[in-house]
Amino acid sequence: MNIYQITFWILSLFTLAFAIGVIMSRNPINSVLFLILTFFCISGHYVLMNAQFLAIVNIIVYAGAIMVLFLFVIMLMNLNSDTEPQKNFLVQFAGVVSGGALLLIMVAAIKSSLTGLEGKNIDLINSTDIGLIKNLGTVLFTTYVFPFEIASVLFLSAMVGAVVLGKKDSALKTAE
Amino acid sequence: MNAIVLSGIWGVVMMFAGLFLKSSKQIQWTALLGIIALLVVSILDYQAHSVQAQTYFGMMTIDVYTSWFSILITACCAMYLLIFHKDIAAVGKNEAEYFALIFFVMCGVYLLASYSNLLILFLGIEILSIPQYILAGSDKENIKSNEASLKYFLMGAFSTGLLLMGMTLIYGATGSFDITSEKFVGQFEQLSSMSSLSFVGILLLLISFGFKVSAAPLHLWTPDVYDGSPTAFTPFMATIVKVSVFVAFIRLFHFSFGNVSDAWQIAIASMIVLTLIIGNVTAVYQQSLKRMMAYSSIAQAGFMLFSIFAVNSTLAYKGILLYSVVYSLASIGVFAVIIKMKDYTYDGFNGLAKKQPVLAFTATVCLLSLVGIPLTGGFFAKYFVLSAVVEQGKYIWIVVFAVLMAAISAYYYFRVIRSMYFKTGEAAMHTEPTTWDKTLLILNAMIILLLGVLPSLVFG
Amino acid sequence: MILTAITLGFILEKVILVSIILGGSLGIAMYSTWAERKVAAVMQDRRGPNRAGPFGLFQPLADGLKLFMKEEIIPTLSNKFLFILGPSLAMLMACMTSAVIPWGPNIVHADGSVFTLQVADINIGILFIFGVVSLGVYGIMLGSWASNNKYSLLSGLRAAAQAVSYELAMGLSLIALVMMSGSLSMREIVEQQHGFWNNGYFTWNFFKQPLAFVIFIVCSFAELNRAPFDLSECESELVGGYHTEFSSMKLGFYLFAEYINMFITSIILSSLFFGGYNYPGMDWVALHVSPLFVSIIGVLVLLGKAVAFILFFMFIRWTLPRFRYDQLMDLGWKSLIPLALFNMLVTGAIILAFQK
Repeated sequence: MNIYQITFWILSLFTLAFAIGVIMSRNPINSVLFLILTFFCISGHYVLMNAQFLAIVNIIVYAGAIMVLFLFVIMLMNLNSDTEPQKNFLVQFAGVVSGGALLLIMVAAIKSSLTGLEGKNIDLINSTDIGLIKNLGTVLFTTYVFPFEIASVLFLSAMVGAVVLGKKDSALKTAE
Repeated sequence: MNAIVLSGIWGVVMMFAGLFLKSSKQIQWTALLGIIALLVVSILDYQAHSVQAQTYFGMMTIDVYTSWFSILITACCAMYLLIFHKDIAAVGKNEAEYFALIFFVMCGVYLLASYSNLLILFLGIEILSIPQYILAGSDKENIKSNEASLKYFLMGAFSTGLLLMGMTLIYGATGSFDITSEKFVGQFEQLSSMSSLSFVGILLLLISFGFKVSAAPLHLWTPDVYDGSPTAFTPFMATIVKVSVFVAFIRLFHFSFGNVSDAWQIAIASMIVLTLIIGNVTAVYQQSLKRMMAYSSIAQAGFMLFSIFAVNSTLAYKGILLYSVVYSLASIGVFAVIIKMKDYTYDGFNGLAKKQPVLAFTATVCLLSLVGIPLTGGFFAKYFVLSAVVEQGKYIWIVVFAVLMAAISAYYYFRVIRSMYFKTGEAAMHTEPTTWDKTLLILNAMIILLLGVLPSLVFG
Repeated sequence: MILTAITLGFILEKVILVSIILGGSLGIAMYSTWAERKVAAVMQDRRGPNRAGPFGLFQPLADGLKLFMKEEIIPTLSNKFLFILGPSLAMLMACMTSAVIPWGPNIVHADGSVFTLQVADINIGILFIFGVVSLGVYGIMLGSWASNNKYSLLSGLRAAAQAVSYELAMGLSLIALVMMSGSLSMREIVEQQHGFWNNGYFTWNFFKQPLAFVIFIVCSFAELNRAPFDLSECESELVGGYHTEFSSMKLGFYLFAEYINMFITSIILSSLFFGGYNYPGMDWVALHVSPLFVSIIGVLVLLGKAVAFILFFMFIRWTLPRFRYDQLMDLGWKSLIPLALFNMLVTGAIILAFQK
C-alpha cells in the first residue's frame, strides 16, 4: 500500500458514503450538499490521476455553478419530507429487484474483467502528464476538434431552447 | 460534411431571421429556403462521396451510403416543413426559434448517419434530443405540452446516462471510442474473446437506443409525449428523429457488434415481441387519433427493429432505408390531416370524405401504407425487413407473429378509413386546407404509391 | 510527484507561511473595517472613530471583543447545522484563495535552497481561484436558507444569481489575459510582468489588457457583494440581508469574510494586472543592494498595491448609489459578457497577427 492507494481508498470510501447520503437524505437541501461533497471527492480522484485541470473544472462547473442553481431552485420550492409522494410497496420492491440485478451484473462484469489483470501493475497514471492543460489543449484542437466544434451546436440549441421556454409569451403580447 | 455545417449555420440564420424579419411569412420562407439548400448540399455531398469515402480524424466516415441516407432524410424533412410550416409558426410566438431547433436536429441527424466514433454518437443523440424537449414543451399555456416536455426530458436524460455508462464500459473493454479502430474491432471479433464489460456495455447501449426509438418496455414516455406535444411537432419527432436513431442503431449494432450478435439478438427479439404486442393492442383501444398514431409509431418501431435483428443482411439495409422513407412520409401525411381537424377523436373524422375528398384520399393512402397493403410503399418496407429475417433462417416464428400483429394493426387503421368514408357526420375543420396543402398531400401520397411499385428508387 | 515530495521541513515551511498569510490577512481585514469607517467619515465630512486609542486605532479590537461577548442566538426553527455551517464556509472560502498567490520573489539562501513566498504553485492557479470564488456563494446561500427568514432567503437568492452571472464575465475577461500569457499559473503570470518597462513596452498586464481589467474589477465588485452591487444586503429592502438572523461571532465571520475577500481580491487584481510584487527598478536593487531586499520590497509593494485597491473599493462604496436588480443583471449579461467576448476576439486576432 503506497500513499496513492491509501488516498484512493479513502477518497473512494468518502465518494460512496456521500453518494449514498444523496439518495438517503430526507431533506433535498442535504441531498444537494452531499452531491457537492461527492463532486469534491471525484475531483480528488481526478487529481490522483494527474488531471488537475479536469478536477478544478469539475468543481467550478458542477459544484460552483450547476449545484448553486440546483440549490437555488430547491430553496424556492420549499420541499418538505411530508410532501414527498409515497410509492406503493410493489413499485418499491420491483425497483429494488431490478436495481439490485443491474448492480449484480455490473459488479460481476467488473470482477470477471479483472481476472486477467492480476499481477499486472498499472502505473500508467503516474508516468503521464496527459491531464495537464497544455496536452489537453493540443488534443482538443487536433484529434478532437470535430466533436469540440460540434458540441457548440449542442450548447447553442440548449441555449436557444432555454430562452424559448423561459421567455414570457403573454408579456410580449401586451407589450406590442 | 457540408450538410452538417450548413444545418448548424442555418439554425443561426433562423435565429437572426427571427430578430430582423418582421413577418411570419418571411421567416417561414427562410426556413423553406434553408431546407431546400440543405437538400441541394446533401446531393452535392453524395456526388462528392460517391467516389471515395472520407473520414475526419476517425470521428466520421462519410461514404456513399451515409450520404444517400442523408439525402432521403433531408427530403422527408423538406416534405415535413413544406406541409407543416404554417402550423409550426402558429404554435407560439418564437417561430424562428422553432425552425432553428429543427435545423439543429437535422445537424444531429447527419451526425448519427455517419458517425464512426462513440463520442460523435453521443453528441448526435444529444443534439437530436435537446431541441425535441423544447419543441415538445413549446405550447407553454397547455399543461399537457408542459407534461410532455418534462416527461421526455427526465426520461431522456436518464437514458442518456445509460448510454454514457454503456460507452464507458465499452471504452473500458476496448480502450478506444473509434468504432473503426483495431482495438475496437478486435474486441468484438468473436463472442469468446469478448470482455464481460462489453456485454454490459452493449446491454446498456441497447436499452438506451431502445428508449430513443420507443421500443417496449421502454416506450412508456411515447404516448404522453407524442400526444401532449403540439401536433405540428409530433410528426417530426415520430418520423425523422426516430428513423435517424434507427440508422445510428443499425450502424453500431451491425458494423461493430455484428459478429457477436448472439449476445444481443435474444434481447432484440424480446423487445420486438413486446413492442409489437403493446403497440398494436393498445392502439386498438385509443379514442384519439393523435394518441393512436403515437401507439402506431411504437408498433412501427417494432417492425423497424427487425432490420436490426437481421444481422448483416443487405435486405435489412434496404428494408430500413425503404421503411424510413415510407413510414416518415405516411406518418407525415396522416398528421397533416389530423392537424387540420378540430376534434382528434375518431368521431371527429366522420364524413370527412364528403367534405374534403382530397384529405380523406391522401389519409387513406397513408394509412394503407402504414398497414402494409400491396401497391403502397409500406408493403415492400415490411416485406424487406421481414424477409431479411426469414433469409437468416432463425427465429421464423417471430416473423409469423409480426404478420399476425400487422393484421391487428389493420383494425385500427381501417377504423379511421371507415369513419371518413362510411360514417355520416360533420367533420369539423380547424383550418381549411389550401390548394397548396392539397397539392403537397397528393404529391406525398403519389410518392408512397410510386414506392409501392418501384421500391428500388430509394436504394440509390 | 506532489504527494511523495512531502518532508517535515517542507511541511514546517508551509505551515509557517500559511500562518503568516492568514494572520496577515486577518489583521488587514480588521483594519479594513477601521479604514472603511475613516474613509466614510472623510467623505461625509465627519471625524469617524476616534475614541479608542489614537485616531481610533483600537476600534477594531473593541469591535471584535464586542462581537465575541454578544449573546449567541440561533433561531428555533432554523436548520442548526447549516446555520453554523454558513458563516464557517464563508470564512473558509475567503481564506482559501490566498494559497496560490505569489507574495514575493523567491528568496534564495546562501546555501542554494529556495524559499518560495507562495503556499502552492499549481499550474492552474487562476482556475483554483475561480473554483474557490464560485464556492464562496455557498456560505451565503446556506446561511440565508437556514435562517428560516424570508428576507434572508431573498438575499441569498440574489447573492447566488449575482455571483453566478458575474462569474461568467469575470472568467471570460481573464481568458484574454491567459491567451496573452499562455499560462494559468499565478507565479508565471506575475513573472512575465517583471519590472515595469521593457524594450519600449510596459510589462504590466494592465497596459496590455485595459478592457479585461475594467471588466474584471466591475465583476469583483459584484462578487464581493459590495456597493454599488450590494443588493444581497441592502438594508432598505431586506433588513440585514443574509445575516439578518445572525448574531455574535457568526455575524462577525460574515462581515470579516467580506473584508478578507476584499483584501484577497485586491491582491489578485494587483497580481494579474498591476505586476504583483514587481516594481520599477527591481533589477537595479538586485544588482546594487541585495536579492533579499528585492523580495522584501516586493512583498511591501504588493501590499501597497493591495491597499490602494482596497481604498479604491471604499471610495466607490461611498460615492456610487446602489444599482437596481434588473440593472445589475442587464449590466452583467448584456454589457460585460459581450464586451469580454469582444475583448477575447480582438486579443485572439492580435496574437494571430503577431505570430506570423
